[in-house]
Amino acid sequence: MVNYFANLVTVTGISMILAISLNLLIGYAGIFSMAHAAFYGVGAYVAALLALHYTAELTLAVPLAMVTCAAASLLISLPALRVRGEYFVAASLGLQVIAFTVFEQWHSVTGGLSGLIGIPVAELFGYSLASPLAFMGVTIALVALVALAVICLLRTAFGRDLRAIRDDETAAAAAGKNVAVIKSIAVAISSALCAVAGVLYAFNIAFVNPESFTLNLSVLVMAMVIIGGAGTITGPIIGAALIQCLPAALSWLPLPPQNIGYLQQILYGLAMVLLMIYRPAGLMGKARSKG
Amino acid sequence: MNPRSGIAMQLIDVSKHFGGISAANHVNLSLPYGKVTGLVGPNGAGKTTMFNIMTGHIRPDEGSVLHKGVELLTMSPRAIALRGVARSFQALRLFSHMTVLENVLTVMERSPWSFLSGGSEKRLRLEKAEEILSRVGLAGLRNELAVDISYGEQKFLSLARILAMEADVWLLDEPASGLDLSSYDRFFGILRERVEAGVAICLIEHNLDIVRGISDEIAFLDRGTVLDQGEPERILNDAKLTAIYFGEAV
Repeated sequence: MVNYFANLVTVTGISMILAISLNLLIGYAGIFSMAHAAFYGVGAYVAALLALHYTAELTLAVPLAMVTCAAASLLISLPALRVRGEYFVAASLGLQVIAFTVFEQWHSVTGGLSGLIGIPVAELFGYSLASPLAFMGVTIALVALVALAVICLLRTAFGRDLRAIRDDETAAAAAGKNVAVIKSIAVAISSALCAVAGVLYAFNIAFVNPESFTLNLSVLVMAMVIIGGAGTITGPIIGAALIQCLPAALSWLPLPPQNIGYLQQILYGLAMVLLMIYRPAGLMGKARSKG
Repeated sequence: MNPRSGIAMQLIDVSKHFGGISAANHVNLSLPYGKVTGLVGPNGAGKTTMFNIMTGHIRPDEGSVLHKGVELLTMSPRAIALRGVARSFQALRLFSHMTVLENVLTVMERSPWSFLSGGSEKRLRLEKAEEILSRVGLAGLRNELAVDISYGEQKFLSLARILAMEADVWLLDEPASGLDLSSYDRFFGILRERVEAGVAICLIEHNLDIVRGISDEIAFLDRGTVLDQGEPERILNDAKLTAIYFGEAV
């Protein structure tokens, strides 16, 4: 039972990192990316390959995955960032499809649909993290670090530039802001933080394959951000916790297991409709004023 | 800022067509330092297009745009802003979900990495931003979101952002619309003060009394063509131009 809860907290923590990093784009830069699962996948594959061929040391895997993801995001998102708003959504959708195809078809590196199996247990400064409780502790610490990094970033001139671009890109350019560079850096930072989740995921389940990094996941992470409250610090954390813990909570209800999935879908749908009516800015966002 | 003389910005033989519509037709316009130039004309005359051309948001088909003698045509809106050409928008375009203070600070921070330059610079920027907000009467609203303040206050915030840019050319698109009489006096008092310090201001305004009161010179535009340019009294008392302005048959 302890291991079950430790794993639930770990999986929820990974989702929190995904949501926090996507919130940097959606909530603070106004960039609606549908390619978050792709960068999550890059992080996971980097960690898996490193662990399988060299070392499972987290202090090496995390920075390497972050740098790789940031570089990959810059390379592939630069052309997409030349377009605004809904056009970027479409372009990022394309990126997600391309990334999935690469994960699926680059057999020599990713193992194709069979994926990479037998990823060794993660280590931290040489100590094995075989215990679910120990891994949960590291995950919680990384969630806190990622959240802190985003909070610090938002308090800087860069954070203000991001929000200025979100509110009005034309006015930001007229005020002397290099919109393209700032957006590119935001995507790189978001992808780098997303890679942290990818590393944790790879070590947690000891197996990666393309099915874990599909468009469905990108949509789910976006739902976490929107339900919790885009553009707030706590929103994505709450949103991720709700979406990850809801299935676990439902499993305690005296219902036939085959019906839980349907109930879950109905509850998600209902929650989204009610939120859009009563709290369009999300659970932690500003409430709609009356009158 | 030391008072300057001469021409701050110049449009030379600028033309721009959108399909069959002529938004600028061989326009020649000079904005001198220390003067207010009013751009007047009926709707669709091409006034805002002129601002868009001067700030690099629209590339003209032909002609030249000079700032302090340097060609701006190949520059981005960002580069032009950093050279010292500031503009306000008819629709204000504030950073709505940022506070009043953040709106001003953001404009002052020329680089996203400004925070790396040290605490003393950060403190100076903050002091300067507070000073600007006091000057425009928004000090008490510094922590309010821009979207939550009144329209008149938003106009002053727009002015505060331009003050923060420390530009030598100000392009103001209908700055007085929606202001009450006392706000109007305060607003134009600040403009006058900056003009005396040497700033070149060009403003688009539909209220002809306001244009007459603030402008040193007026350029009258119609269908992308500067029909006349000169002293406000002469331009605004020209029966032919007035008829065009009010849409009467000439």
